[in-house]
Amino acid sequence: MENAESILVKFDQLIANLEADAAHDEHKLRDAAVEADVLEPERERILEVTNLSKHFGDTMAVDEINLTVEAGTIFGIVGPNGAGKTTTLSMITGLLRPDSGVVMVHGANVWSDPAAAKRQMGVLPDRLRLFDRLTGSQFLYYAGVLRGLPKETVRERMSQLANTFGLGDSLSRLVADYSAGMVKKISLAAALIHSPRLLVLDEPFESVDPVSVASIVDILHKYVAAGGTVVLSSHSMDLIQRMCDSVAIIVDGKVLSLGAVDDIRGEGSLEEKFIELAGGVTTVEGLEWLHSFSD
Amino acid sequence: MVAQLLGLKLRLLGNMFRRSPWQVFGLVVGLLYGLGAAVAVMAGLVALRSVESSLAQSIVVVGGSLIVLGFLFVPLVFGADDTIDPRKFSLLGIPTSRLALGLAAAAFIGVPALVMTLISAAQVVTWSRSGPATFVAVVSALVLVVTCMLGSRVMTTMATLLLSTRRAREATGLISLLLLSAITPLIAVMVTVDWLARGIPVLHSIADVLAFTPLGAAWAAPGFAAAGNDAAAAGTMAIAAAFLVALWFVWRVLVATMLVTPERESHTHTYSGLGWFSYLPATSAGVVAARSLSYWGRDARYRSALVIVPIVPVVMIGALSVAGVPITLLLLLPVPIMCFFLAWSTAHNDVAFDNTAVWLHVASNIKGTSDRVGRIVPPLALGLIVIAVGTPLSAWGYGSADVVPSLLGVSLCVLFVGLGLSSVISAEFPYPAVHPGDSPFAQPQSSAGAASWVQGLSLLAVLAVTAPTVWLAVLGILYGGGWHVGALLLGIATGIVALGGGIRLGGRVFEARGPELLSFTARY
Repeated sequence: MENAESILVKFDQLIANLEADAAHDEHKLRDAAVEADVLEPERERILEVTNLSKHFGDTMAVDEINLTVEAGTIFGIVGPNGAGKTTTLSMITGLLRPDSGVVMVHGANVWSDPAAAKRQMGVLPDRLRLFDRLTGSQFLYYAGVLRGLPKETVRERMSQLANTFGLGDSLSRLVADYSAGMVKKISLAAALIHSPRLLVLDEPFESVDPVSVASIVDILHKYVAAGGTVVLSSHSMDLIQRMCDSVAIIVDGKVLSLGAVDDIRGEGSLEEKFIELAGGVTTVEGLEWLHSFSD
Repeated sequence: MVAQLLGLKLRLLGNMFRRSPWQVFGLVVGLLYGLGAAVAVMAGLVALRSVESSLAQSIVVVGGSLIVLGFLFVPLVFGADDTIDPRKFSLLGIPTSRLALGLAAAAFIGVPALVMTLISAAQVVTWSRSGPATFVAVVSALVLVVTCMLGSRVMTTMATLLLSTRRAREATGLISLLLLSAITPLIAVMVTVDWLARGIPVLHSIADVLAFTPLGAAWAAPGFAAAGNDAAAAGTMAIAAAFLVALWFVWRVLVATMLVTPERESHTHTYSGLGWFSYLPATSAGVVAARSLSYWGRDARYRSALVIVPIVPVVMIGALSVAGVPITLLLLLPVPIMCFFLAWSTAHNDVAFDNTAVWLHVASNIKGTSDRVGRIVPPLALGLIVIAVGTPLSAWGYGSADVVPSLLGVSLCVLFVGLGLSSVISAEFPYPAVHPGDSPFAQPQSSAGAASWVQGLSLLAVLAVTAPTVWLAVLGILYGGGWHVGALLLGIATGIVALGGGIRLGGRVFEARGPELLSFTARY
C-alpha cells in the first residue's frame, strides 16, 4: 500500500513538472510572438464579475451582472440615475454584500478572501462620509497607515499627492470645512496613497472644477500607462468617451451594452447611444405656456 | 398671502403624522404631554380664582414669567425645528411686510400656540372677579399669546441667523449643558429655603420685580386691576404692549435681513502638524486610537459625554445625601461612577457615531481587534487618570486608606468590563446615533425602541459582571481586612478577562459584519 501511494505521489510530481515546463514554453513562445508583432500582448483580467445580483426589498437593484476588466485599461460604467451603478461598485469594493455572484480582483475573491482582494484596490465611494473631523493631512495619514504603509512612506506620498491635487494649504484645515470638490480630491488622494493595482472610483468628477478634472484625468492616464487599472462611473458621457477604453451601459440593474467605446458608439457619440439605450428622451408636451413670460 | 402660509403650516403639521409609526407615537406622546401640562396649569389658574388677590397675582406673575421665558429661550438653546425659515421664501419675491405678517400668523398654528391659548384663557377665569379686571384679563390674554408666539419666532430666527456655523452650534450645545448642570445646585438651594415660613414673602418680592419686566407685565396687569390699582394696571399693560411692539419691529427687521443673508460662511480654523497621529505608533490600532482621541477633543458629541462624566456623580451624591446616606460612604462613589460613564456612554455605540465614514475601515480590511483597541484608547486613558487622581482623594475623604484596594478593584473592574462589553456591543448591536456635525441634543431620526433596549441590557450586563467585585468591596467596608484585597484581585481578574474577551469577540464580529455595519449606518 505504502509503495503504491509513493508511486502515485511521484506520478503527480512528474505531471506537475511537465505542466510547468509546458507553461514555461508556451509563455516563451507567446513572448516571441508578441515581440515579432504576430500576437497582441495578453492582458491580465484584473477584475472579473460573474452573475452579481443584489435586491433591496422587491426591486432588483443589480440583476446578474457580468463584467471583465483587463489590466492597464480605463473602464467606464454609465447609466441613468438609480440604474445600480453605485450598488455594483460597492459590491466590487467589498462595501456591500451581494445576494449572489462572484467578484475576483487580481485572482482573489473579494467576498471570501477580502484581505488579498482589498489590498489591491483603491476606493472612492460616492455619498459616504469621511472622517471629517480630521485635518486633510491627518485623513491622508490615517488612510495610508490603515492600508499598512510605513510612516515615512506615508509622509512622503502625502506631500506629493497634496502638490499634485493642489491641496496645499487646505491640508491643515478640517475636512468638514472643505467644499464638495475638495472632498472629492482628498478622497481620490486617499484612494491612491497605497498605489493599488485597481482603482474603483464612483463619480470621481462630480462637482470638481474643470482644471482639477483635467489634472485628475492626466494622473489616471499616467497610472494606467504604468499598468494600473481604473473602473469609474460618471454622468459625463463626453468625459467617458474621451478617457475610457471600454464601457458598460447599465440600465435597471442590467448590462445593456458592453465593449470598447468605439464599438459601442458606432457612428454617433456615446451620449446618443446611451440615450437611445436608456429609453430615449421623453417628448416634452404641454409646456407651451413656458414660451410666453409672466411679469 | 397670510391664508396661503397658514395653509402651508397646517399641511406641514398634518404631514408630521405621515411618518413611521414610532415617530407618530412620539409625536402623540409629546402632544399629550403638552396638553396635560396645559390642563394642570389651567386647573391651577381656575383654583386661584378663590385665592386672595395679591397672593394669586404673585403666583401668576412668577409662574407666567417662567412660561414666557420658556417660549423665548427654549428655541435658542435647543434649536427649534424651523420649518418656516424666512430664507426659504427669499426666491419667491414676496414684499417683506406681507411675508413678516404671514410667517408670524403661521406661528399660531401648532401645539405651543394651542397650549398658550388655553393657559391665557384660564388666566381670564382667575381674574373674573370684577368687570374691569375681567376686561384687562382678556386684553392680557391676547397680548400674552401674541407675545409668546412672536417672541419664540424671533428667537428661533435669531438662533438660525447667529448659530449657522458649525462651531457656534457646538458651542451652544456645550454652554446649555453647563447651564443645565448649574441648575442642579440652584435647585438644591431652593430646596433648602424654608418655604412654609418664608416662602410667601420670597414669592411676593420676586413677583414685585417681575411684574414690571416684559416677562411678567401682562400677567400682572389684571391683578392690579382687581386690586383697584388702576395706575399700576395701566403701567404694566403699557410695558407689555411696548414689548410686543418692539418684538414686531425686531421681527420685521429680522425677516428683511434674513431675506438678503445667505447661509453664513464658517470661519475655518487651521491645525498644524498631525496632532495625536504623531505621538502614536503608525499601526492600524495606533491611528484608530489617534483618530478617536482627535474626535474626543473636537466632536461635540464626545465632548458633551465628557462634560456629563463629572456631573453625574455630583448629582447622585446630592440626591443620596438628601435621602440621608452618610457623606463619607458617598465619597467612595464618584470614581467608579465616572469610570462607568467613560467606559459606557459613547463607546457602546461608537461605530454608529462614525456614521458612513466607517467605510474606510471596511475597504482597508482593517483587523477587527485593531479597530476595537483603537476606539477604546481615549476612555481607557481618561479612566485610568480618573482612577489615579480620584482614588487617593476618595480614600482621604472617607478617612481611611484601608479602602484603597477595594476602590481600585471596583473602579478598574467597572472600567475594563464596560469597555470590553462596549467593544462587542458597538459592533453587534449599533443603534442610530446623532449624526456627525449635528447638535448633541438632536434626536436621531429613528425609533427609540432599539436604542433603549441596547442601552438597558448593556447597562445590566456591566452591573451583573461587576457585582461580585462590588460585593467583596462591600464586605471589606463592613468587616475590613482581607476582603479589600479580595475585591482588588477579583476586580482586576474579571476586568482583564472581560476586556480581552470583549476585544477579541468584538473584533471578530466587526470583521464579519463590516459591510452590514456600513449598510446600517447608511440607512440612518
